[in-house]
Amino acid sequence: MTAIRLAHAAIAAAALFALALPLFGSSYHVYLGELILINIVAAVGLNLLTGNCGQISLCHASLMAIGAYTTALLTTRAGVTYAAALPAGIVVTTLLGASLSYPARRLSGLYLALVTLGFLEVVSIAIEEFSDLTGGVRGLKLVKPELAGWPFGTNTLYYFVLVVTALAVCGGWNIQRSRYGRAFNAVRQSAIVAQALAIPPGGIKLLAFSIAAAFAGLAGGLFTAVVGFIDPTEFDISASLRQITFIVVGGLGSVVGSVVGAVVLTLLPEALRGAKEYGDVVYSAILLGALVLAPKGIVGSLASLHSRRRAAKDGLP
Amino acid sequence: MSLLRLDDVFVNFGGVAAVRGVTMRVEAGEIRGLIGPNGAGKTSLINAITGIVPANGGAVVFAGHDITALAPDVISGRGIGRTFQHVELFREESVLDNVLTGLYRHHVYGVLAAITGFGSARRVEDAARREAAALLDAFALASLAAAPVSDLPFGIQKRVDLARALAVRPRLLLLDEPISGMSESEADAAIATIRTLARERAITLLVVEHNMRVMMRLAERITVMHQGAIIAEGTPAEIRDNPAVVEAYLGDEDDDA
Amino acid sequence: MALMTWRIALQLALSGLSVGSIYAIVALSLAIPFKASRVLNFAQGELVTLGAYIGLVLTSYGLPYPAMVPATLVIAAAFGILIERLFIRPIVAAPEFTLVIATFAIGLIIRALIRIHWQDNVFFLPAPYAGPAVPIGPLRANPSYLVIIGSTAVLVALLVLFFQRTRLGKAMRAVAFNETAARLMGISVNRVFGSAWALSAAIGAVAGLLLAPVVGINPELGHLILKALVAAVIGGFGSLGGAVFGGLLLGLLETYAGAMFGAALKEIIPFGILIAFLLVRPQGLWGATQVRV
Repeated sequence: MTAIRLAHAAIAAAALFALALPLFGSSYHVYLGELILINIVAAVGLNLLTGNCGQISLCHASLMAIGAYTTALLTTRAGVTYAAALPAGIVVTTLLGASLSYPARRLSGLYLALVTLGFLEVVSIAIEEFSDLTGGVRGLKLVKPELAGWPFGTNTLYYFVLVVTALAVCGGWNIQRSRYGRAFNAVRQSAIVAQALAIPPGGIKLLAFSIAAAFAGLAGGLFTAVVGFIDPTEFDISASLRQITFIVVGGLGSVVGSVVGAVVLTLLPEALRGAKEYGDVVYSAILLGALVLAPKGIVGSLASLHSRRRAAKDGLP
Repeated sequence: MSLLRLDDVFVNFGGVAAVRGVTMRVEAGEIRGLIGPNGAGKTSLINAITGIVPANGGAVVFAGHDITALAPDVISGRGIGRTFQHVELFREESVLDNVLTGLYRHHVYGVLAAITGFGSARRVEDAARREAAALLDAFALASLAAAPVSDLPFGIQKRVDLARALAVRPRLLLLDEPISGMSESEADAAIATIRTLARERAITLLVVEHNMRVMMRLAERITVMHQGAIIAEGTPAEIRDNPAVVEAYLGDEDDDA
Repeated sequence: MALMTWRIALQLALSGLSVGSIYAIVALSLAIPFKASRVLNFAQGELVTLGAYIGLVLTSYGLPYPAMVPATLVIAAAFGILIERLFIRPIVAAPEFTLVIATFAIGLIIRALIRIHWQDNVFFLPAPYAGPAVPIGPLRANPSYLVIIGSTAVLVALLVLFFQRTRLGKAMRAVAFNETAARLMGISVNRVFGSAWALSAAIGAVAGLLLAPVVGINPELGHLILKALVAAVIGGFGSLGGAVFGGLLLGLLETYAGAMFGAALKEIIPFGILIAFLLVRPQGLWGATQVRV
């Protein structure tokens, strides 16, 4: 069986498993599945920005928080239906993400990291400051969302999240294979070469930040439906690092890598059943290990192996 | 009207005047050589034309439009392409993807179309792939389309660089040391390819080389730079016998880089 | 009325300088390995925290303060060397993304391990100089503030001597200036890297020990790295003097802003300054210029 067929088979098996989960799994399994799906959405967006376009963002979790709070406040306080609140959350985060691209135009990795770090901090401070709106550090309790007046049941919510995630993953895949994905990769590798090919680095970064933010906003909006409560400490720097771990371990620049990383690394702490701190140690150790020993991640390493084997077969030096 | 006109261009680089008052005209259809010893200012001049480096004085006029202060990607979009001395391909990507990236500006569809993957995006992508395939064929790269470029020998990488630069559909192509690093036979093949290319696709070439022998065979007219200024301009025969040129090259004998 | 305002202003200046001194020390500890090895250590905050906890442990073993301090610095320096050797050296040539994320990960591991062992309890480290406010002229000075400011001055002076007079210090400067040339001159660049990280861990520990009597020892001490980063950006990453200046300036600005406009603005001001500098003058006041894409 060729590598491609194997990959397709694996994807088909995973899809079947995902579809059948509510049938054989407990409600906890379904909840876990939803969390995995939300993490997949966040990871796909971040990977397009960081893995493909090469822009460091330490505030992806903050953008997800903003999406969550926007959707939550609209449904809980303003009585907006979830169907409208979710897109609204996405729009808000996309605009914020787009504004982050302006510093990115002229700043390289380290300094861009600082800007995103500053943004992360400002968002944390804002969440605390506007506590009558956001619930501050105590968090925000949410109303269970409904679609067209009918509240989500356990299984219908799961399938909703599954479908939305699948669409988001396909969207991410399409972008990556499109002229924009190629432009992202070009800007990452060399702004000068990109410009020689008539690709505008500033505009491409704007697009990358906007798309990543949109995915974060979507993930945040889904979060409000799945989890009944927003705890702002869940969206701090360690949350951003966790998302970065997904894409580094899964494979930078690969949509499949984002999915693999999100699945594996969301399941892992479940297997460990520890306090948050143990989770942090494990994630960070895995991240560090991947960065030092296997920077291409799971998918990247497999892909390299495959193309080296192909090249050897074709008789190239 | 000349295709490219440089009027008294100055470029300062780290406190040094890398280009001092260069005035030159390149006519459409020419194969113009730009030659000079190391440090003559050739690369700075190329960078000023392509907008990577700002010109500190003078003007760069392309097809009648002043492009001096334009952003590099806009200048490329206007029809100026370039290759790079050290190739600068997207190393982990395939030959095909490298060339496809060059077609960014010519096969356009919007972001929403890209995300949904239907309709115009699919059609335009197919057209782009066809054009990329044609370019690969023209450079005998078709069999290597899927190969990651980092695996390929240097001479082939140079061909990919050239194919990618042509994907931009330039009217003026700047070739930065296209022959450097090549063996004798590779160089012969490359020179032949470049000449054919220029003729068939009606592209004007500005070739930067510091190897005099290569330049003599490739260019129709040659501009010689030394220490930031132009010291001679003429046909290969005129340049070869020019005492100022000979003197500039003393101590910088024909090195086959 | 005028005397009251002056007194308040001076009082604020004292606390501003003391806060700023901490920022300055931590900014210095960021700048040193950055100059030597071009790595910005996002785990530096956790090295400050680590220093404080090391002091806590040593004190709990009965070590008296004058012995505890140097012992803490030495142990912290050892940690610095360990981190550099194990995690940084293998990736020192990696792209910026890898370095940034790796140091963050290291910091997170340290912080999480500390939390696992000590939870979120706040410990107070008794320092011999801590005590009630001391009157100095019209002002009432918290002795801890005075010690902080004084220690920072002494530390800066020692560092100046170190870099100007000692072989290791000069070697560090050589490597920071031109690594290849330094290598050619026979300087062991690896040893310089290790020393830079050891030094910065020790300086971080100083900050931790100075903070301990004032805010208490807790896992979140390292949060101030954000302020130190702002200070380093203001001064420019390559500049040690800039780091000190940036720290003091930030401390003063923050304190005055807090007094004049309230606590909320006090929190936002550092990040407002950060964003402003990064947009307008990312290399800071004294830094090198190669920052733009």
